[in-house]
Amino acid sequence: MILAKGSVLQDTELTRILGELGEDIIALRSLPPLAPHVVIDACARLLSRLDRGELDELIYRYATPQTLKALEQYRGLLRPENLEYKLTIETGGLLSAGSRPFGCAAAVPLGTLLHITAGNMDGLPAFSVVEGLLTGNINLLKLPSGDSGLSLALLKLLADEEPRLAPYFYVFSIPSSDKRSLQALADLADGIVTWGGDEAIQAMRSMAPAGCKFMEWGHRLSFAYCAGSPENQELEALAGHIIAAGGLLCSSCQVIYLDTASLDAAYAFCRRFLPILERAASIEHQTPGQAAQATLHGYEHFLELTVAESTAQVLRGRGCSVTLCPDQALELSPLHGNVLVKCLPRQELVRALFPQRGRLQTAGLLCPLEEREELSALLARAGVTRVTTAGHMSEPFLGESHDGEYPLRRYLRVVDREAVL
Amino acid sequence: MLGRQRLFWSAHPYDLEGTQEKFLQAVRENCAYHIRHCPEYRAIAGALGFTPGQLRAPEDLAKIPVLPTLFYKRHALFSMPRRRMAMYVTSSGTSGKFSQIGFDWGCIFAEIPMILRLGRHHGLISPKPAHCVILGYKPHKANKTGVTRTMYGLTWFSPPISRTYALHYVDGGYVPDLDGVARALERLSSSPFPTRIVGFPSYLWFGLQRMEELGLQASLPKGSKIMLAGGWKQHYSQQVEKPVLYRLAGKVLGIPEDQIHEFFGAVEHPIFYNACKRHHFHIPIYARIIIRDVNTLEPLPMGRIGLVNLISPLMNATPTTSVMTDDLGYLTPGEECGCGITSPYLTILGRVGLSDIQTCAAGAAQLLGKGEGF
Repeated sequence: MILAKGSVLQDTELTRILGELGEDIIALRSLPPLAPHVVIDACARLLSRLDRGELDELIYRYATPQTLKALEQYRGLLRPENLEYKLTIETGGLLSAGSRPFGCAAAVPLGTLLHITAGNMDGLPAFSVVEGLLTGNINLLKLPSGDSGLSLALLKLLADEEPRLAPYFYVFSIPSSDKRSLQALADLADGIVTWGGDEAIQAMRSMAPAGCKFMEWGHRLSFAYCAGSPENQELEALAGHIIAAGGLLCSSCQVIYLDTASLDAAYAFCRRFLPILERAASIEHQTPGQAAQATLHGYEHFLELTVAESTAQVLRGRGCSVTLCPDQALELSPLHGNVLVKCLPRQELVRALFPQRGRLQTAGLLCPLEEREELSALLARAGVTRVTTAGHMSEPFLGESHDGEYPLRRYLRVVDREAVL
Repeated sequence: MLGRQRLFWSAHPYDLEGTQEKFLQAVRENCAYHIRHCPEYRAIAGALGFTPGQLRAPEDLAKIPVLPTLFYKRHALFSMPRRRMAMYVTSSGTSGKFSQIGFDWGCIFAEIPMILRLGRHHGLISPKPAHCVILGYKPHKANKTGVTRTMYGLTWFSPPISRTYALHYVDGGYVPDLDGVARALERLSSSPFPTRIVGFPSYLWFGLQRMEELGLQASLPKGSKIMLAGGWKQHYSQQVEKPVLYRLAGKVLGIPEDQIHEFFGAVEHPIFYNACKRHHFHIPIYARIIIRDVNTLEPLPMGRIGLVNLISPLMNATPTTSVMTDDLGYLTPGEECGCGITSPYLTILGRVGLSDIQTCAAGAAQLLGKGEGF
């Protein structure tokens, strides 16, 4: 399916659409840019329709439990006051002309953005387009393979709600193997926004023409850092996060680092943490399938360590496990409520995280209040881009950066104008 | 070392009670063989404190080291060099990764009586030649999947006159030709010989729907059969209830329900499970099944739902003695079926966890064997 200028078309129209796209873009760029309030108002109208239950049928059709949870978490971010806040924070006031010694400077849209989206969260492709629209760009969206159709349906709603937006986005379900069509889209772009793993990012990077800005939202790793002796409550919050996120998100805790060099102390921590994790698992695992998945992954991990002759110790619990590892490397956990514990004294933190510095995202910090400032600064120097409390590692925050960047700022271009004296 | 052959050449394919001793002996020999020849298996048995001598009674079978199917996808485990194997096959790798399993000659020799006895027991063997329509892959040297081998094998229960395939190998990939199959079925309905349709249930379902859409109807000759193998694979979400499928098969092809045979098996556990006339998979003497607790992996009593653990001493080339599937299921006493077979039967409830898990944690997609689609 294709969405072009507000109309849903069959894939057979792809060649025609691609043929006309260049001229359409040039015509649109010649006009004054899209004002942010048009986008913000349209989102607000859609949100109130959502609140009134008018979109229930659509949600029922596409939404998985995972999507509904995400929708609950993120819907607040689409409120007008929050979108305006995001715009202000992220563009740093560049949208209106500021005076400079030579005259003035103001940001304009980058031009045309090609969004290559990944399927890690349903509806995320539509959100990426909204970010492009807020900054006045023309958006070409390639849906991920196996997309549920939710993003196209949402963007079609947006186009119907506000016809002035319709010319500013195109949605294509081109397979990644159709290199020729992808290249045709890349050739028209001023910026390529790529979401996904290393493979997707490498593939798209090779397609970006010289002079085209390449922006990547790659996969990330996150961890918890625990100094001193945390309260049970904090550990319960961390356990809840580990089980609920299942290690699958960029912000999910993969490793719990302890600020100690003593393996005995770490073992004692594991013994203390396991029953807390088990309680969280028994609450969160509502079907035998979820518990089975967690148990299988934990058992599989135990077998992997056995054949690798590792000295790591696996503490297997009900529907979860805690593995005490002898090394310090940040790595992926066995997922689904099976977490790794490692010793990492704060003096060695920067060195241990150095190999993964470009992939770090969230650190859930558990420490005495008086040390929080110092440890947060140390984690920042090591390369993390978010420091949160234990239970909020995967919570979205209003005004937060995305992997250390402000996306809207990246989708703009600053134009300096010299004053005529 | 003949325990395996003694078990597989036994006379009664569902006499579990009468073959307990033979089964235990064959499993002891099989475990000892893998411990001697497969370093990974030896390490796992050592870590779990397992020795074959611990297998003295049927309940001891739970002590055999259990390997999850995921483990075979990550490790190519062999207990003999490739040159000594008769065959080497892979799982179909629906989710991007596949298991590699070796078949030794002794395994093939043991499979023959199993297949013949079960084939005769379930009325699959006929001397009357038949046309075969395979709703699956046409064999090709680039295709080493076990299911292709199984489907091809199933065409030999009666002398095959012709074979028509739904999936053809073209330029490095398989392309479906359902319309070609629909035309063939219509043509075959006027043949004096019966037709045997072998295939994935999902393809049968799509094919029957397509025929109904096109208004095609075939009345296949008496003695025609449908033989279903391979599960719903990537079409899991579109799985339909068995009675719905049987009704449509009767309506579109004229094949009655008692001529529809279903099979169950896995590359890691190539035991020829046949559905009885009440469509239940009873455990044959060549295997035992343990249902394990989803939280602790401890064995569960009859009737409780848990992870399905399949046990068989069939293979020497790969240590598949005890395999943990990622299916949830339960066992029912055989007498409750009423078909006459007394061994317990397995009901599969479905795959563990969400099939559409998505992830943005670095490296997790590869770990889950999903590849990195974009």
